[in-house]
Amino acid sequence: MNLFLVGISHKTAPLKVRECLAPEPEETGELLRRCMGLPGVREAFMVATCNRVEVLVASEKDDTADTVEAWLGQGKPVDPEELSRAIYVHQGEDAVRHLMRVAASLDSMVVGEPQILGQIKEAYRAATAAGSSRTVLNRLLHKTFQVAKKVRTETNIGGAAVSISYAAVELGKKIFDDLAGLTALVIGAGEMAELAVEHLMAQGVSRVLVANRTLERAVELAGRWQGEALGLDELDQVLGQVDIVITSTGSPEPVITHKLAKKALKRRRGKPVFFIDIAVPRDVEFKVAEIDGCFVYDIDDLIQVVEANRANRAEAAQAAERIVAQEVVKFMTWLKSLGAVPTISALAAKGEVLRQAELERTLRGLNGIGPEQAEAIDRLTQALVKKLLNDPILFLKDPSHSKSEETKREQLALVRRLFNLEGED
Amino acid sequence: MSTALHWATLAAYVLGTFVYLGFLLHQRRGLYRMGLTILWIGFGLHTIALGAVWYEGGVVPATSFRQSLDVFSWAIMGATLVINLRVEVMILGAFTAPICSLLLLAAGLLPQVEVVKSPVFQNLWVVVHVFTLLSGYGLLALTFVGGLLYLFQDRSLRAKNLGASFQRLPSLTRLDTLNHQTLVAGFLLMTLGLISGAVYAQIALGSYWRWDPKEVWALITWLMYAALLHARLVQGWRGRRGAWLSVLAFAALVFTFIGAGLLLPGYHNFTNLTDLGTVQP
Repeated sequence: MNLFLVGISHKTAPLKVRECLAPEPEETGELLRRCMGLPGVREAFMVATCNRVEVLVASEKDDTADTVEAWLGQGKPVDPEELSRAIYVHQGEDAVRHLMRVAASLDSMVVGEPQILGQIKEAYRAATAAGSSRTVLNRLLHKTFQVAKKVRTETNIGGAAVSISYAAVELGKKIFDDLAGLTALVIGAGEMAELAVEHLMAQGVSRVLVANRTLERAVELAGRWQGEALGLDELDQVLGQVDIVITSTGSPEPVITHKLAKKALKRRRGKPVFFIDIAVPRDVEFKVAEIDGCFVYDIDDLIQVVEANRANRAEAAQAAERIVAQEVVKFMTWLKSLGAVPTISALAAKGEVLRQAELERTLRGLNGIGPEQAEAIDRLTQALVKKLLNDPILFLKDPSHSKSEETKREQLALVRRLFNLEGED
Repeated sequence: MSTALHWATLAAYVLGTFVYLGFLLHQRRGLYRMGLTILWIGFGLHTIALGAVWYEGGVVPATSFRQSLDVFSWAIMGATLVINLRVEVMILGAFTAPICSLLLLAAGLLPQVEVVKSPVFQNLWVVVHVFTLLSGYGLLALTFVGGLLYLFQDRSLRAKNLGASFQRLPSLTRLDTLNHQTLVAGFLLMTLGLISGAVYAQIALGSYWRWDPKEVWALITWLMYAALLHARLVQGWRGRRGAWLSVLAFAALVFTFIGAGLLLPGYHNFTNLTDLGTVQP
């Protein structure tokens, strides 16, 4: 049984490509069923969030990764070359590790953000409903949930608002309660501003305006977020409509003046505005912060917000990686043992261990017993264990072809649980 | 009967206060739900208790200062619970439950006054006057609490002091919605209360307006709230200025309710209310 994980994430692909691949939530079941129809695929699981689209399959074949990759891009309005550059494939142990890291929020855009686990649980429910998660993936997903929970409780990773954008979102929620349906305005450009916008959009901000000194650049950025582009001279007209303003221009003079902000607030009838000023020197005039309803946070303020949590971050991530590594090893051991031969030897070994232990205890308790009698007892226990295990072993060896591979795996898993051969559960 | 219910209500409110304090500390949603349930039970008991007083006394239970505090406490708790169904401000109970407990305790410790069983107080207009006015006061008390919380949260955001209190308080928008809704509903009820009072004064005393100190103070309070409402709706005074004004207006309200009821002369004064019982409508 081979495990393959094929996907794209915020680390490898821009939002545009991720959006192309992401299915509608109600399509997932159908997609999983189609994925099960691919040659060799026995089990399938798919998670799609705004930051990643990943397909995990358990397959009989060795080349399933290519099949799944081709299937993922099929009929999608995306440049195949761009897609193949963005897609990553993990196999076996790496696939297990990747899934666990994702669930533990170690691979998130904001490390430690809590939503991803819920999203994976939701995806698992969909896979169960579609009947595409069976012995192997069921166990893998359950183990993954345990790992994620363990990481959350044993490390401090979840308690950390670790990125500036995350801090901005948290602050926004304390001002607006819910970011859904709000309008954001981005003035200028830059990686940090773009990241902040994507974060805000993930939280429900529905309309994005982009203002730039050069209108072409504004149009380009606006296209990425299906927003509206405008020139810097139009700020005066739109400032009254926006709730969140992200400024990131190279302008030496403030772009948002006290007068401009005051007028906007008046037009908004006092509804608050949240200014996130990423620019150095600052784009929002100092006095704007004094206006009723204006909240101005510059880059230093945001850093200060996250600073307290940041110290623990590296440490927490390290501890989390350790937890994941341990669980990966355990799961791979289980997966390899999921054949008839290792199960039979584990069963025989367990019988022998129990027999030896009981024998030794019994012989120690019996005084004045001759070697012949001792040998008789030894023979007795051997026969007993052998006869007791004979039928289960025959059952496991049964080569009957009427049984499907899946049934065999289920039965093996059951026998291992029945005789507690996992060692840990 | 009513006395036992009174103390049972107080016990529920005090218990609710402690559960809410636990919620403030530990931020467990379960504690919040428990606190809310306890307060609902307390409010049910309170309602029955007031009903019992009414039944036993035969007149609307607001003829003494003691009873007024009782009804005021009931109104604040009712407003808290009802508004919570519309705008969930989870920590609101942590502030109103102790206030209601204190009001009830004060009401319980004040001496019992002989109930004046006069037809003057049995008129339906009096019932409307007392309950609309006090329900309005209850809602406006929430505008006051919400305004204080708003100012506090606003200051934390401006000072970039994002500590424990910042985490526990709700968002500015939510507090603003709370303030807005309680202000509009409270003002409406207060207006109805004043009108019904005037109508009744015409029926019972022969004139709508007698320049009684409590009447004057009630008018001042009403004008302040009218100004606040105007500022909010027309001028867009949502933020700090609106919150400050709501705090100020509530100070006037408390003076009208307690100060004018106890300190100032006039027929509305609780000691003089007894005399009013002798007036024949």
